[in-house]
Amino acid sequence: MDVRSQIAMVFHLDKCLGCHTCSIACKNIWTDRKGTDYMWWNNVETKPGTGFPTKWEDQDKYKGGWVKKDDSINLKSTDKKRIVLNIFHNPHMPSMDDYYEPWTYDYQNLFNAKEGPDQPTALPISKITGEQIDIESGPNWDDDLGGSPIYAKNDPNLEGLTEQQKQQLFAIERLVFFYFPRICNHCLNPACVASCPSGAIYKRGEDGIVLVDQKKCRAWRSCVSACPYKKTYFNWHTGKSEKCILCFPRVETGQAPACFHSCVGRIRYLGVLLYDADRIEEVANLPDEELIEGHRSLVLDPHDPEVIAAAQRNGVHDSVIESAQNSPTYKFVKEWRIALPPHIEYRTMPMLYYVPPMSPVMATQEGKTINHVSDNLFHDIDEARVPVKFLANLFGAGHEAKVVYALRKSKAVRWYRRAVTVGDVSMEDAKKMLGAADCTVEEAEEIYKLTSLCTVEDRYVIPPAHREEAIEMIEDPHCHRQSVGFGFVSGPRRGA
Amino acid sequence: MREPLSVAKVPRRSYWMKWCAAGFMILFLAMPRGAAGQETAAFYKQNCYSCHTIGGGRLVGPDLKNVTTRQDRDWLARFMLNPQAMIDRGDPYAKQILEESRGVVMSQVAGLTRERANALLDLIEAESALEKSQFEGVKFSDRPFTSQDVERGERLFKGVESLKNGGPSCISCHTVRGLGLLGGGRLGVDLTKVSERVGGRKPLSAWLVSPATTTMQPVFKENAMEAEEILSLVAFFEDAAKQVGDDDSVAPLTFFLMGLGGMVLVLGAFDIIWKNRFRAVRRPLVAGGQMGTRV
Repeated sequence: MDVRSQIAMVFHLDKCLGCHTCSIACKNIWTDRKGTDYMWWNNVETKPGTGFPTKWEDQDKYKGGWVKKDDSINLKSTDKKRIVLNIFHNPHMPSMDDYYEPWTYDYQNLFNAKEGPDQPTALPISKITGEQIDIESGPNWDDDLGGSPIYAKNDPNLEGLTEQQKQQLFAIERLVFFYFPRICNHCLNPACVASCPSGAIYKRGEDGIVLVDQKKCRAWRSCVSACPYKKTYFNWHTGKSEKCILCFPRVETGQAPACFHSCVGRIRYLGVLLYDADRIEEVANLPDEELIEGHRSLVLDPHDPEVIAAAQRNGVHDSVIESAQNSPTYKFVKEWRIALPPHIEYRTMPMLYYVPPMSPVMATQEGKTINHVSDNLFHDIDEARVPVKFLANLFGAGHEAKVVYALRKSKAVRWYRRAVTVGDVSMEDAKKMLGAADCTVEEAEEIYKLTSLCTVEDRYVIPPAHREEAIEMIEDPHCHRQSVGFGFVSGPRRGA
Repeated sequence: MREPLSVAKVPRRSYWMKWCAAGFMILFLAMPRGAAGQETAAFYKQNCYSCHTIGGGRLVGPDLKNVTTRQDRDWLARFMLNPQAMIDRGDPYAKQILEESRGVVMSQVAGLTRERANALLDLIEAESALEKSQFEGVKFSDRPFTSQDVERGERLFKGVESLKNGGPSCISCHTVRGLGLLGGGRLGVDLTKVSERVGGRKPLSAWLVSPATTTMQPVFKENAMEAEEILSLVAFFEDAAKQVGDDDSVAPLTFFLMGLGGMVLVLGAFDIIWKNRFRAVRRPLVAGGQMGTRV
């Protein structure tokens, strides 16, 4: 047992209101530099929809992630031989058009325009060429089902839905969608790290954050094609790849990452998971239907004395173990089992989990009364406006069981709380539902608390980074204190 | 290898010349091999021998026997130093020489100075006085060429058979039409009609004994071709000129077309090798969506 610690995340999609505050917070801190205009380390997608870059989930095109072949898994985009043969021309690079051409506006025109019959306008100009452009696409172009006959209809997760289900999904006045915020998953088996010919990408030992060494990166861009979530981006100005750093300078000082901190819907949770690194390879090789359970089994119980002893042997600090014991992600992932990894079939073992969203309640009409209650207590899951199959494609590698389990539990907790506070449904029904959803009253209360009444301290249990101890190994902390600050000591340069 | 140096071979004209020659000797001894200073006879052999005889009849250029009686020394020296300039200036005698040589202009002689030109004229005068000059010209076998000669010549030209004394084969710089698609080198002139240009077998053979142009001289100075090799090459050149006849088709065009075809092939191969490469996703999606049925 090789116990390591990982800062893992849970996004509760039922609470996401799609405001993009997270994206803007991230953009303002990290990607407002030249060459990073088009990057969205954090973005929010509408589902059904094609996301950013367009249709990134279509791995037949983008070739991201791992594929199972015989007894082992291989990168889909490259291997040791292909990386050498294609080193000067990566054949699976998304084009700029599949992200979007970053633009600004010619504001000067508002002041300098010659007098004419029309009001002057600020025309869009490309940030790449400086020429005027027609904006054809943007980072959230299909937001709220914009252009749905083109974009939402081509969502790769619609695969396997019946024609009737598809039609229902897009029927007028029955349109339904939910939001899907995405950052780097800081995977346990990252394809970007595996594909890098320069060895520039690494997973930090202490907290599992995946980073690109800006001095080692040689612009081969194999990480861009290898990451199935398309969360590494190429900075065309510095000639280096960049990605979400989980705001490690903030995390190391006990603050939540910017996107977490700014989240309006409080959908984000962050905490340490202890996992068994010895078993990653074995789990990544499991057949599709066993992946979720396997992935979950990698996460170890931080209260188990054996695990604690093994963690201590591995140099995991006691305070980190304690942090893992209070971790909200551990509860969502392991105890309540309602948080699921996105597209586990890419086999990168993502460390960002999602609580699947519930669709709007389906009503039945009897005469003039609209009835939301049905004899079948879970009817709105089975006949949800968002078909379970769609969610299963997103969070269950195409298998519905785990998604249904999570949805039923969420639904049961809701009914239980409705019985407690509103009282329009009977507690008897609610308890019946809890029982059917494999949930106790205590658990329901806990879920309710961490979902609805959570404070910042509940949501973000950030392990101490012990930088003061780490720096002692390298230099005198008093000297170090005078030599560091914000920004690059020396900026990344092409070829350097 | 150069002959041992001897002052005796330099015609004695004056003390000044002697000392000058001695000075040259010393200079020559002091300098690395291949430097400018050379003994006159050796210089003649190196630079003049391939086109001129003294009493052996004309080769590419005229027979130099008694040349000093045909023109004054000053004129001759000026011509030797810069033949092209004399012709350009419209000198009638220079033009006459050009005509007699069927338009072949005497090539500029590398390392020729006024002093050396005078020394050469002295040498020619002295040799003309002899009954049989040492520079009468090489004697070549004049047996008729056989097809074996032509074949061997082609092999030598192409470098299939290398030259015995280590000289580079002709193809590295020259081409002859009918060599195949790629032809030979393009650095030197096209040799398809060289035998016609220089005036047949004898001048061509003499030329090949010690090629005198600034490019070829340093290459073949140390590794001259053998008589048998020269014979075969001349046979090959004569045959090549005959084969082509008056056909003046443009070889560069085939070369260009081949390049074009090659490029198309390479690009086609790239397209096949990377057939699974990433192509645009968003644009086709949007284009397809607009044409497809709306829900």
